[in-house]
Amino acid sequence: MTTRHNEEDQMNKEDILPGKSSRRSFLKGLAITAAASSAALVTGGCALDSLPQSKEELGLKWQEYFQDNYRLMTQAEKDQTVERLTRLAKLEDNRDLNISSQGPREQVLFGYAFNISRCEGFMDCVEACVQENNLDRQAKTQYIRIFEMEPGKLDPSTGDGSYFHEVPVADKFYMGVQCFHCENAPCIKACPVKATWREPDGIVVVDYNWCIGCRYCMAACPYYGRRFNWGKPVVPEDEITRRQHYLGNRKRMKGVMEKCTFCIQRTRQGKLPACVEACPTGSRVFGNLLDPDSEIRFVLKNKKVFRYKEELGTDPKFWYFID
Amino acid sequence: MKISCALAALVLLSLGAPHQSSWAGEAGVIDRIMAATAPFDNNQIEATHILPNQTVWAKELFQGGEFKVLARKQYMERYRCSSCHNNDHKMLATDGAVLTHGDIKMNHGQGDNNLTCMQCHHPQDRDTLVNKQGDKIDFDHSYQLCGQCHFRQKRDWLGGAHGKRVKYWAGERVIRNCTTCHPPHAPKFAKRMPATYSLPLKK
Repeated sequence: MTTRHNEEDQMNKEDILPGKSSRRSFLKGLAITAAASSAALVTGGCALDSLPQSKEELGLKWQEYFQDNYRLMTQAEKDQTVERLTRLAKLEDNRDLNISSQGPREQVLFGYAFNISRCEGFMDCVEACVQENNLDRQAKTQYIRIFEMEPGKLDPSTGDGSYFHEVPVADKFYMGVQCFHCENAPCIKACPVKATWREPDGIVVVDYNWCIGCRYCMAACPYYGRRFNWGKPVVPEDEITRRQHYLGNRKRMKGVMEKCTFCIQRTRQGKLPACVEACPTGSRVFGNLLDPDSEIRFVLKNKKVFRYKEELGTDPKFWYFID
Repeated sequence: MKISCALAALVLLSLGAPHQSSWAGEAGVIDRIMAATAPFDNNQIEATHILPNQTVWAKELFQGGEFKVLARKQYMERYRCSSCHNNDHKMLATDGAVLTHGDIKMNHGQGDNNLTCMQCHHPQDRDTLVNKQGDKIDFDHSYQLCGQCHFRQKRDWLGGAHGKRVKYWAGERVIRNCTTCHPPHAPKFAKRMPATYSLPLKK
């Protein structure tokens, strides 16, 4: 555990989790009791839905239980965690995954712009997002919501968010809402266990393993940007996106929060988010805010832009613009 | 005691006061963006070098730099046009149904002002397009033609507010051509059903 205190650490452990040691030891005690009782269940033959687990799988799950907050891990520990997840996916579900722990890049801050005069409400973005991010098909979880809006209104809560008819309808416009990746995000402040934070490239992420599922962040978000897993997410085996990221589209558990991550598994490799690539009308602009020659900077400089609920001071990195 | 209470209240107030685009003594994101003027090396991102489609260098500049657009000619089923449209070749009337472009329905232009073939296609050299000045324009560079009327769209397209990039936000700038998205003979997007639907919001 001494490897943790090296120069790669972005912050001091004590800054993030004050009084962590006592909580840790308390959890450890709990875990031992829980593990003992679950082991008793398995050996007793009472477990109905789980097949006999190998010693390796049990060992990995044990390690996963005591895994640290992702933000406090060194790169070596992150790699180890990701390797463990890959192995567990193979053992549990016989899936060959490619999970990444790729970090942010220097001089990159992601930003997004949405053209409300171009969007025609085809919802290809929503479908692409569901496919890319392995979203729960049973509960129909969606990160993006497109609202059909009356002319002159700019507040999505006045629009129809569950339309299903031929689009575009004359004299309506369409407005997409998703996580705005606020610089001053209320959800981050609300989290009691620091399971959600803003990465240096501006993406607000969740450590699904650290999340306790209290949904404070969901209540704190003024944009309805977060989603909760009320049940175990169901994704058809042949539709799983196998290129994953620890902070992105990897398997979520029951009882944890999830949200749009600007497709962290794609954007950190230079690709566009799935929604941007899928948009048939080119209403979605994505890029590096710190690059003066990027498209997003062109939009901010030359178009009429606004941010939703800017007066709250959340400082979102998501702009709406008109032609 | 009173003074310290008042001080505490003052501190609390100033902490709780909403402050536009800056917080906790830090500059907001707008200030950060405005401060970022140094050029960014887009080619540092190693995964962006493979592009699937055939591209050509655009004949215009984007924010002072060069960029590429998706080529058009390889998607045109009957290119090269001069294989039929030349003076040596006599066409049979029986081939007419297939070969005289009867499948093209023009729907380009407002109201009754529907465009006709020769407003964009070169009357002599059918392998190229023609602009209002009579200059030949390559099919791969149709933005030069479209931009004659749709100059606002072209300005936005050059900058990146109209149209879209291909696959990558980083690396070499490759964007879609006008005709990649808009079929030139009927450029407006057709009405259709959305790809999916959303459940109603619980309030």
